Amino acid sequence: MSIDKEKLQALFVAPAAGVAPCVIRAIDVKKIYWAGQVETHALRGATLDIYRGEYLSIMGPSGSGKTTLFNMIGALQKPTSGKVYIDQVDIAQLDTDELAWLRCHKIGYVFQTFNLIPVMTCLENVMLPMAFAGLEGEAAREKAVGILDLVGLGHRLLHKPAELSGGQQQRVAIARALANSPQIILTDEPTANLDQKTGMEMIELLARLKVEKNVTIISATHDQRMLQKSDRILWIEDGQIVKAARPDEIDFSTAEFR
Amino acid sequence: MIQDQVRLPLSVAIGVVMQGIRIRFGRSLITLMGVALGTAFLVSNLTGQAINAAVRQEEQSRSEVKRMASFLEAEMGPPRDRIVGVIQTGPLDENEQGLIRFLIDSRVKSIQWYNAAPETPISQSEEAECRRDVSLEGVANQAGSVLLMGSGPLPDVLTAPEPVASLFKDAAGKILACTRTPQGLASPPGVAVVELAREFTPEELIKIAEQKTQAQFRRNWITLISMVVTVAGIANAMLMSVTERFREIGTMKCLGALSSFVRWIFFFESSFMGAVGGVMGGVAGTVFSLAVYGFTYGYGLVFSSVDWVLLGVYLVLSVLVGIGLSIVAAIYPAGVAASMVPANALRTDV
Repeated sequence: MSIDKEKLQALFVAPAAGVAPCVIRAIDVKKIYWAGQVETHALRGATLDIYRGEYLSIMGPSGSGKTTLFNMIGALQKPTSGKVYIDQVDIAQLDTDELAWLRCHKIGYVFQTFNLIPVMTCLENVMLPMAFAGLEGEAAREKAVGILDLVGLGHRLLHKPAELSGGQQQRVAIARALANSPQIILTDEPTANLDQKTGMEMIELLARLKVEKNVTIISATHDQRMLQKSDRILWIEDGQIVKAARPDEIDFSTAEFR
Repeated sequence: MIQDQVRLPLSVAIGVVMQGIRIRFGRSLITLMGVALGTAFLVSNLTGQAINAAVRQEEQSRSEVKRMASFLEAEMGPPRDRIVGVIQTGPLDENEQGLIRFLIDSRVKSIQWYNAAPETPISQSEEAECRRDVSLEGVANQAGSVLLMGSGPLPDVLTAPEPVASLFKDAAGKILACTRTPQGLASPPGVAVVELAREFTPEELIKIAEQKTQAQFRRNWITLISMVVTVAGIANAMLMSVTERFREIGTMKCLGALSSFVRWIFFFESSFMGAVGGVMGGVAGTVFSLAVYGFTYGYGLVFSSVDWVLLGVYLVLSVLVGIGLSIVAAIYPAGVAASMVPANALRTDV
């Protein structure tokens, strides 16, 4: 495996937040999909570091490989080549059960479409990942209630997702992501299905969690308000990370980097 | 650490499955129907065979009894108000019991019964009309005819010429009727020995056995095909279930569900369906074949001749087969679900 010197150098550039331990490190990650004989290069070599307690936004046009990158650093897929370290573990070395363990304990996911289990109450939805982690019974219930309180849904514990508004559902999803006290929260366009006001609430909630729980938040997003709140913004195009910037370096009126 | 996770959250799996079934009740019902139909077919086939065999045996036995009775009647005249002796050498078969019943029904005066094997009692219904306190010597006393029946060996007295002659003292015109071919019977002088039993020739026996195996083979073949169809049907329904739940599965995998957990969910769902469908199909199949055969042969004959224990065994078997078929059918769909890449949950176009 050949590594660009430039890319290697980029690994050691400290983030805006200051010196913090690196939680995710991706080195020259490539991903190729095969559809019959046709190769699709979804990622053409992405290298990045993500630091603890950072609020990182990934943006890029659709088809740019944003989701693929997101999947790679979220241990949802293995790269075709290159390395992804999550908390200093190379995910390529892990088997499916170990990956499941990693996803269970280290990472919380928040999806654009919420993806709550419709047949379960809010409480059960939050307790589900705890059950996967081996935490059950009264302890799990207490912890889940605590987390739902934190996201402001302490009064909706026994409601089914369908009985809640979109913003409330997304809060449940965030609570569920927090269930096993992960170091990393991955969010995929979390505000895309929400209206202006609830979207803003969501962004503030994530920002608050970042401070209170010292979690790393990585989001794929186009939401300007979300970009403005982030510590760092990555711009991905055609399977490559083309730019990285702090929000104050971006002209949001044109969505262009200065 | 991973061991914590490998320990399956069983209650969670059961909850997920039950809720899944409740929500997709319509589709679950169709799966259930598939299992139920498959097992119903199997069970109705099995019970049909059982009923058929039992009825045929009953009919055969009845006609055999009739034949023996008419034979006996031809030899000794109408049995009404006569005294008949019976020497029982061992357990009686259905035909012999039928013959006794015939004698009682045609109002013989009494039956003088000697049981050479006292440890093998005959059925209770005959008890009342028979005099059991008879010695071997007294059996033929006043009796115009003596029946020799039972599967045991002949008493010593009957195998030696001298004592036999002493048994039938005023022998003139008496008959000794045997329901089986008596081995080593010393026929007493002056007594007509009548063999009531009918032996099949070897050719007949072979033909009967051949017909039986042919019919059985045909039935088994149809049953096998129906089971394969059932498996395919369940597998299809389970695959649909997997596709429907792609996002749910993916989400669970993102939350840390192990592949084995996902696989388990589908196996559990399938075997639950199999159990319920198996019970439904088993009961339906049994009732159906009882009704149909009852209609053709007459309910009295069917209900009196059928072996209920065997039907119970078939019912239990059908539930097991239902579960087994469902588990076999779930292997592929569960594998598809378990090997799914969790990233699919993130796709919004599923």
